[in-house]
Amino acid sequence: MNIFSAGQIKAAKILQSDIPLSSRPFTDIAGACQMTGDELIVWIRNLSRQGIIRKVTAILRHQRAGYGKNVLVLWSVPPEEIDDAGRKLAGLPYISHCYERQPSFDGRFNLFTMLHAKSGDISPLLQEMSRLISCPDFLLLESLEEYKKTSPEYF
Amino acid sequence: MDAIDKKLLNLLQKEFPLEEEPFRLIGERCGISEDEVLARVRRMKEKGVIRRIGAVFDGKKLGRASTLCAARVPEDKLQSFVHIVSAEKGVTHNYRRRHEYNVWFTVTAANTEELQALLSDVKKKTGVTDMLDMRAVRTFKIDASFDL
Repeated sequence: MNIFSAGQIKAAKILQSDIPLSSRPFTDIAGACQMTGDELIVWIRNLSRQGIIRKVTAILRHQRAGYGKNVLVLWSVPPEEIDDAGRKLAGLPYISHCYERQPSFDGRFNLFTMLHAKSGDISPLLQEMSRLISCPDFLLLESLEEYKKTSPEYF
Repeated sequence: MDAIDKKLLNLLQKEFPLEEEPFRLIGERCGISEDEVLARVRRMKEKGVIRRIGAVFDGKKLGRASTLCAARVPEDKLQSFVHIVSAEKGVTHNYRRRHEYNVWFTVTAANTEELQALLSDVKKKTGVTDMLDMRAVRTFKIDASFDL
């Protein structure tokens, strides 16, 4: 990570984990990283503009926030339709992640979506997705146990 | 969680203000003081609703490699397998799922070579060899935010 100075790497380590709950959190972080609060904020804004930082937000534990149903749904989409199907599924509010993956799972499931719902029956959502992309062939992968869920440590 | 908590969570998930006093600004938008914002956020962290407040870096833009793996693990090896996998620093998600391929995990490494080495190492350590490595070749959406 030679594009970052030592102080910036220190700041990135804090930013990728947790911002302090204080009145001036950026000033507090900056103080430990040989920067001023303003310099740190400008740096974060620049990284955001370049897309190196995707967002600065609160990250929730969705189960605790009331979203109890979290299901991985795989779709078998012909290669020439995957662009259109991916965009359409990505537009749905209950889909958090949508990727094309290779190699495909089980020889045919190439479009991967993560679906979140508060509770109850998700079959209406699946029907909506299936209709939207005219794809009847999908695979539900319900989670039975969560062993680990963390944010990546890049720094 | 009351209505103010929900409003706070919706705001905080959308955008944490990149300003000198972010919590005061959030408070203004919710009609409460900075102290009350901080107290509520602290409470929701203790309850585990908020995992963290911070930046989400784009691993790909940082040159990192990542993948989703699915492994077929025999029942008697399950405990040791998930233990070894979860202990890897690069593993960020690890789930048991209802399928013949019963363990699904995501993993990130500094580059493809290191990722490959990590997966070989896991296979060697666990004796589980039926492990699929499915790389994202196209990202249509990443937005894990939840309307409350």
